[in-house]
Amino acid sequence: MKFRKVLSGILAATMVLGMTCMSTSAEEEEKLTVWCWDPAFNMNAMYEAEKVYQQDHPNFKLDVVETPWEDVQTLLTTAASSGDLSTLPDILLMQDNAFQKNVISYPDAFTDLTDSGIDFSQFAEAKTAYSVVDGKNYGVPFDNGTVVGAYRTDVLEQAGLTIDDFTDITWSEYIELGKKVLDATGTPLLSMQAGESDLIMMMLQSAGASLFDEEGNPAMVGNDVLTSVMGTYQELVTSGVMIEVNNWDEYIQTMNAGTVAGTINGCWIMASIQTAEDQSGKWALTNMPSLDGIDGATNYSNNGGSSWAVTSNCQNVELATDFLGSTFGGSVELYENILPSGALATYLPAGESDAYAEPSEFFGGDAVSAKLTEFAGQTPSNNTGVYYYEARDAVATAIANVIAGGDIESEIQTAEDTVKFAMGI
Amino acid sequence: MSQPRKKMSLSKKHSLSGWVFLAPATILIAVMSFLPMVRALLLSFKTGIGANMKWAGIYNYTRMFQDKIFKTALVNNFLYLIIQVPVMLVLALILASMLNNKDLRLKGLFRTAIFLPCATSLVSYAIIFRSLFAVDGFVNNALIHLGILKSAYNFLGHPTSARIIIIIALIWRWTGYNMVFYLAGLQNIDYSVYEAARIDGASPMQSFFRITIPLLKPTILLTTIMSTNGTLQLFDESVNLTSGGPANATITMSHYIYNMSFQNVPNFGYAAALSYVILILVAILAFFQMKVGDKRE
Repeated sequence: MKFRKVLSGILAATMVLGMTCMSTSAEEEEKLTVWCWDPAFNMNAMYEAEKVYQQDHPNFKLDVVETPWEDVQTLLTTAASSGDLSTLPDILLMQDNAFQKNVISYPDAFTDLTDSGIDFSQFAEAKTAYSVVDGKNYGVPFDNGTVVGAYRTDVLEQAGLTIDDFTDITWSEYIELGKKVLDATGTPLLSMQAGESDLIMMMLQSAGASLFDEEGNPAMVGNDVLTSVMGTYQELVTSGVMIEVNNWDEYIQTMNAGTVAGTINGCWIMASIQTAEDQSGKWALTNMPSLDGIDGATNYSNNGGSSWAVTSNCQNVELATDFLGSTFGGSVELYENILPSGALATYLPAGESDAYAEPSEFFGGDAVSAKLTEFAGQTPSNNTGVYYYEARDAVATAIANVIAGGDIESEIQTAEDTVKFAMGI
Repeated sequence: MSQPRKKMSLSKKHSLSGWVFLAPATILIAVMSFLPMVRALLLSFKTGIGANMKWAGIYNYTRMFQDKIFKTALVNNFLYLIIQVPVMLVLALILASMLNNKDLRLKGLFRTAIFLPCATSLVSYAIIFRSLFAVDGFVNNALIHLGILKSAYNFLGHPTSARIIIIIALIWRWTGYNMVFYLAGLQNIDYSVYEAARIDGASPMQSFFRITIPLLKPTILLTTIMSTNGTLQLFDESVNLTSGGPANATITMSHYIYNMSFQNVPNFGYAAALSYVILILVAILAFFQMKVGDKRE
């Protein structure tokens, strides 16, 4: 009997303890859950933001959950289609390219931030546009993917070239220079993942073009920019200046192992380039080539980037918006702290900070961040549309067929048919 | 008009306890498996983006006749089915009867070695095959060193070779699995039958075709249906080994359904309709196989 008494005593004590725990947590309540995916990059940014916000809000706590983007998308789709949003976090990071699609598919899953007090005019306009649906702001811009041309200066030197020869050039000049490098060193200039349309999308955006028109209808057939892009891509492959690999690991390997003399991609690629420490000082950055004979062609583009969204599951919207507004939308200090991880701000006041003028040893002592900010300012905006991923896949299929000997015009026609079919809901 | 309550008869009692034992599993299967299937059927008659669904009748089912990617996927699935399943089952049968030999040494070792591939995770084996057949992968290096190839061949970059590699991978992964079924089936064939055949002067070939295959028929039927089902629902290899590429040359129906639901603008109605097409195909094929394979009256 004595044992029973002891047991009931313990149970009663746990219950009381449990209740007190609950009441204390109800008092604090300044806690937010966040989903994002890269420990070295966007998760790190959230931790730094937590530190910045804690200076004024000592009770504030973040719970950052590492969730790869594919999982974020799957979990979001599952939660929103089942109508049970309780599994979602307060804040999640969303790829810019998927923003329109998700907000239009699941309008009830996201919080309208337009009148939340966040000053959206402080961000680059082309960037904010990704997360604006029907004139309403649904996202706080985070990183961008300004396109850089990164080159191995030691390899170029063997062909008698310098980084300046690759600055402000066109694609036809690029291919000529590439042949020179190939002849002198046997090294191609560029590698890309076959079956992906990253380079095509970068080329398109560099001329301010898109696969969709203003009304969101596919605009591929009769799109001169797209035809020119496909032709350029084909020539890159047939001339041997660019090699195609099958997957992402192989792509990274071509740079780290020195199989290629450079790459063209969003500036986040710098993190992967810098993992090859033995190549420090041998790389240099410049802008990308521009399309030949196209009106409005520039040497600047964008690939990737993401924005923070507040879900409808957030119980404390005021806290979430105040947190985002005073960190990612208001703290130059935060952007200085996360700059070493390669998080290039789209928050304009941060670009004027001294931290952005510091030289990078890996990239030959160049003030990389200032350069990237300058590139970002000249990047034409693009129109992703809701059916962005369908269009990307269709174009990737088209270019694979063109490389295998298909005709550009008819492949573009097929791609447009595929996208139109997908839209025929 | 109240009747006196009768005691239950013994047979009623028995059948009641039978139902009680069956109930938990039946309810679980009904709720976890049949209910979602019914919901998916209803969903397949709706259309719309994400959460904004509305009724559309058989629109999704008529729509798929214009779907070029779905047609490609269907052809791919049947290509895998027609080539891979027979090759794999014949191999499994040969291996099983070889390993059933009483006098074979290290039988356990061989059996384990052949079964082991299907204990590996689907994703990791797909990634290993991907790196084996990469441009600078093991296979290319080996072929170049042996002088068979002059320069590296991009196996996964060409439609035909990519399909062949998926088939090779599938055979590697699943032959051992089917072999185990045949081995189990072979244990039910009394060894004395083989002995008697040998005394009557039957060659090993004759006893394989006249004894082993007829007596293994139920097992062969089972593995055929299971492999058909598995091949039509093929997903991991297409996603991880080739990403459906190049240019959708290796994409499977399940992979396409996944893209439709989670990668592209979510269109669950159409995805559910496609899933039902797979179900119908599997059912039809299984029906024919049963008709052909099962001669019992």
